[in-house]
Amino acid sequence: MTVHVDLLTARQLAASSVATISLLAPGSRYSLRVGETDRDALSQALDLALPEKIGECSRRHNTEILCLGPDEWIVLSPESDAGTIAQACAAVYDAAPHSLTDISDREVTVLIEGPKAAELMTLGCPRDLEKLPNGQGRRTVFDGVSVILWRDGPQRFRLDVWRSFASHVISLLATGCGELALE
Amino acid sequence: MSRFRVAGRGRVQQDRPVCFTFDGQTIEGCAGDTVASALLANGRHLMGRSFKYHRPRGPVTAGTEEPNALIGTRRGEGQFEPNTRATAQEIWNGLDTTSQNKYPSLSFDVGALNDSLYMLFSAGFYYKTFMWPRSFWDKVYEPFIRAAAGLGVSPSEPDPDHYASRYLHTDVLVVGGGPAGLAAAKSAAEAGLRVALVDENSEMGGTLLSEPQAEIDGNAAWDWLAEELATLDALGVRIMTRTTAIGYYHQNMVGLCQKLTDHLETPDPDMPRERLWRVRAQQVILAQGGLEKPLVFHGNDRPGVMLAGSAQTYLNRYGVKVGDRPVIVTSHDSAWHAAFDLADAGADVQAIVDTRANPRADFITGAEKRNIEVLAGHTVTGTRGRLRIKAVRINSVADGKVGAARTLTCDCLLMSGGWTPSLHLFSHTKGTLRWDDESQTFLPDRKAEACQIAGAGRGLWGIETALNDGAAMGAAAAEELGHSVKATARSVQNDRTGSGVTHTELPTDRNPSRTKAFVDFQNDVMAKDLRLAVREGMRSIEHVKRYTTNGMATDQGKMSNMNGLNIAADALGKPQPQVGLTTFRPPYTPTTFGAFVGYHKGDHFDVTRKTPIDGWAEENGAVFEPVSLWRRARYFPQPGEDMDAAVSRECRATRKSLGMFDASTLGKIEVVGPDAVEFMNRMYTNPWTKLAPGRTRYGLLLGDDGFIRDDGVIGRLTEDRFHITTTTGGAARVLNMMEDYLQTEWPDLKVWLTSTTEQWATIALNGPNARNLLSPFVEGLDISDGAFPHMSIAECTVAGYPARLFRVSFTGELGFEVNVPARHGRALWETLFEAGQQFDICPYGTETMHVLRAEKGFIIVGQDTDGTVTPYDAGQGWAVGKKKRDFVGMRALQRPDLTAKNRKQLVGLLTEDSRTKLEEGAQIVLDPNQSKPMRMVGHVTSSYHSDAAGRPIALALVEGGHNRMGETVHIPMPDTVVKATVTGTTFYDPDNERLKL
Repeated sequence: MTVHVDLLTARQLAASSVATISLLAPGSRYSLRVGETDRDALSQALDLALPEKIGECSRRHNTEILCLGPDEWIVLSPESDAGTIAQACAAVYDAAPHSLTDISDREVTVLIEGPKAAELMTLGCPRDLEKLPNGQGRRTVFDGVSVILWRDGPQRFRLDVWRSFASHVISLLATGCGELALE
Repeated sequence: MSRFRVAGRGRVQQDRPVCFTFDGQTIEGCAGDTVASALLANGRHLMGRSFKYHRPRGPVTAGTEEPNALIGTRRGEGQFEPNTRATAQEIWNGLDTTSQNKYPSLSFDVGALNDSLYMLFSAGFYYKTFMWPRSFWDKVYEPFIRAAAGLGVSPSEPDPDHYASRYLHTDVLVVGGGPAGLAAAKSAAEAGLRVALVDENSEMGGTLLSEPQAEIDGNAAWDWLAEELATLDALGVRIMTRTTAIGYYHQNMVGLCQKLTDHLETPDPDMPRERLWRVRAQQVILAQGGLEKPLVFHGNDRPGVMLAGSAQTYLNRYGVKVGDRPVIVTSHDSAWHAAFDLADAGADVQAIVDTRANPRADFITGAEKRNIEVLAGHTVTGTRGRLRIKAVRINSVADGKVGAARTLTCDCLLMSGGWTPSLHLFSHTKGTLRWDDESQTFLPDRKAEACQIAGAGRGLWGIETALNDGAAMGAAAAEELGHSVKATARSVQNDRTGSGVTHTELPTDRNPSRTKAFVDFQNDVMAKDLRLAVREGMRSIEHVKRYTTNGMATDQGKMSNMNGLNIAADALGKPQPQVGLTTFRPPYTPTTFGAFVGYHKGDHFDVTRKTPIDGWAEENGAVFEPVSLWRRARYFPQPGEDMDAAVSRECRATRKSLGMFDASTLGKIEVVGPDAVEFMNRMYTNPWTKLAPGRTRYGLLLGDDGFIRDDGVIGRLTEDRFHITTTTGGAARVLNMMEDYLQTEWPDLKVWLTSTTEQWATIALNGPNARNLLSPFVEGLDISDGAFPHMSIAECTVAGYPARLFRVSFTGELGFEVNVPARHGRALWETLFEAGQQFDICPYGTETMHVLRAEKGFIIVGQDTDGTVTPYDAGQGWAVGKKKRDFVGMRALQRPDLTAKNRKQLVGLLTEDSRTKLEEGAQIVLDPNQSKPMRMVGHVTSSYHSDAAGRPIALALVEGGHNRMGETVHIPMPDTVVKATVTGTTFYDPDNERLKL
């Protein structure tokens, strides 16, 4: 049975000579859904363009928007900005109907970095990560669990995982962290 | 040094002795040896007994295609593996190996009795012998067959090893590290592509390891090989040895099994034993080479009878002479080289028997020079020797007539029937094959995947040809991927090209029905079995295969398929392509279960989902049950309590004062947009338009077949925002169904769905004191009955946490469900639990929840419904909007069979003795005295002891149940028949007075 780890405390979860696995402190996370005709209105409201291509990210200050589908984005920000984002969207709702839903607690974020971080991801992720450019993200799977994967750098990744699946994913990352160090 | 080791020869390290045991006896070999090469170096050919006849057997090959030399290996505690190929297992100090299929010992085996009774064990003998009498099957035949069958002994201990897996994306995957594969990898790498090169052997090189005499562009083969590997490494080629491509799947996915520790004396215990690679390649280059075919003659399975090419490998790669006095029998040029190599290494080659009348002149000269007798146009008609060949019987053949016999003494017999391309992986892709008349073999034809086939795998012969074909195929793969590269041409000196002829059985002067000429060594199938199968009516090779088991052993016919086909085609009098070739299936070689399991064992076997409150439940002694992937607290026993006692206490406490329940697993979907209400109207049976923001309603979801799929309480937060709850197990399914309708049927609706199941932790408070506990913690909301009546929803703050508060009841008591962001779930639970002590708050689990809801007649989808129950069947017609224009399932509800009077309908059942609790799932009949099989009219869906009712209660689906109120039905059980009265489904507080607090 999956051994569940404490998901409330940001900390390092596993480390070896090749990679470290950490749980990040929670931020604000919204799912934003809007049709093509109203997309620009939301970009203006947020003062940050919703990227048009799936997998692309736009960033300003501490806000990051990842396009996950033709009408789907994920909006990350510090918790302190969450209210501003909600208000800005609500202000254009009548003119540009959309769905902004708070999913800050639905997922937790795991950071994977280190000299073999990219190889570590190949234990569970079936995508060709060499074709995932730095600064982009993908909705994919890790060890059969649906995740959102960001590549922040050549050897730096973030995984957003639904809470109840996180410990399973973390367990394989920790196993891999040790396994890769033996090579 | 071992008796048959040739000093200075081979790639093994002769100065590094390695000791292992075989059947308890210590054997010394060298670093780099396999078990087989080390045993052969010590003059030992006998390594096992055959599967069916228990005939003594020795290795016939030097590779993974080996059918005979299968052994048990023990690497340590619990690390036993049966059926390891002695020809592939590398040795190390302390390796423990054992022979198989022998009793009591390898040299004397009682099971070999089968061998003398072989006339009884002919093809299809299972079908014929064990047919009658029928009563013998269970007690005699099946136990006997099961005891006699099986290779080796299954391991009985848990496997302590661990296994790993990875994904790999590459532009080009080259399978096979021989000359063709090496050259292909180089071409592709020079084109700038990502290249992976894999080989099942412990080192790269393939044929080059067995043919050091070759000179490539003026360099000795082994020097060239070392340099080439260094070049490939420098070009960034990923080189993987001990790695078998086990299967070739759709869209160029190739499965690789990499053995990591089986060859190591003291592997790091944390190292995985094997790693399964799932490779997705843009182009695959199959350079697997060819396999040598045995010749089919009487006694061709005796220890000491071996493929000539394998003998050459033992000599040149391992420095082992497989015998002092070999005889060679061949229909192909290649075996002549083996004879010459052995003679040059000091063996006294007794004779070269060539089935062809006119061997090449240079071979005759070579033999004369070495003083070897040449017997051209001859056949082999038998061998002698019990545990090792001692002599071979030779006859001349002229004009199809077999002449007088002559006996040659020998200590090994090296045979070659030519070479077959290895088509296994290509065959996995469903690529088609074509028959090549000239080489008498199948070759790859139309490709079904993005692959190239290079070298001997497509019937080419010789190192130079293979190198140049490999280079060309590497370039071809690069070109397919839009890269251009010039294939390097190489020239090879001392290359051993040649040709041969193919045979069915070798001509013989013996009675063919008494000839033990083996085709499939591992399954003990003889040529006469194949002919018998044809005589008995088998026409397709697929039937012949299944009737005789030819090619069905773990080697998948690597040795036997072509000989089997040739013989069957001959017996049928048809050309081979009309008889066909059997299908190869993955894996290429036997693969451990561990490799497929990978990381998924123990704690990591599968995901167990837990709620944020699960840890509290565990610390407080909860007993858990699985609900879909979740584990949920089922009840909280106090010391000395069993489940019934705990549940009874939890029920009483909740109804009397206050219970708390972790409802976090409930599925949650947020529906947002101007068309949210329209979407809700179309999905659910209920009407939603008039539901005011701040109010909730029980929603019923049907499939388009009109049957209940899911249910749950749904709150309208604002005009455009609904908070749906679904059943725990239905969460993902319901969201998928909704998305399906939204995307394919109603893309015009401006509404979006978001799963919020895990956003919220949900705590249900039920009981007369629920509000008394909650009130002091709620800010921003008046939760009095007047301001916040039953079926309300609001956003507020609870204990300082932002919350969505439902007033709802699944127990019939005053109830609230508090949703807070998941991270706060446990903290809120603990706060409420502590504050609840004044009300004797009682945490309860799913079992109590089930009882409490059953007392009120609330259904559980999937328990009281089974996918064939309509809202009307379930007594929930009230939830169907009568004036609605449409909703999913509405049309189906009008079909005649869904409106029929006598459908199974949900009713209550009370046992007439007031004591017996019915069994869930028990069948119901109307007349217990009818003859069997009785007509069953329904079954019990839920059954509990009810504290509130003071007696057992049950729900059941019964034909026409709604019109049977008060009638008696019967529930036959193994020892008795229980009588029960049909009632309504509400057993407690039918007027809902307790909600009105």
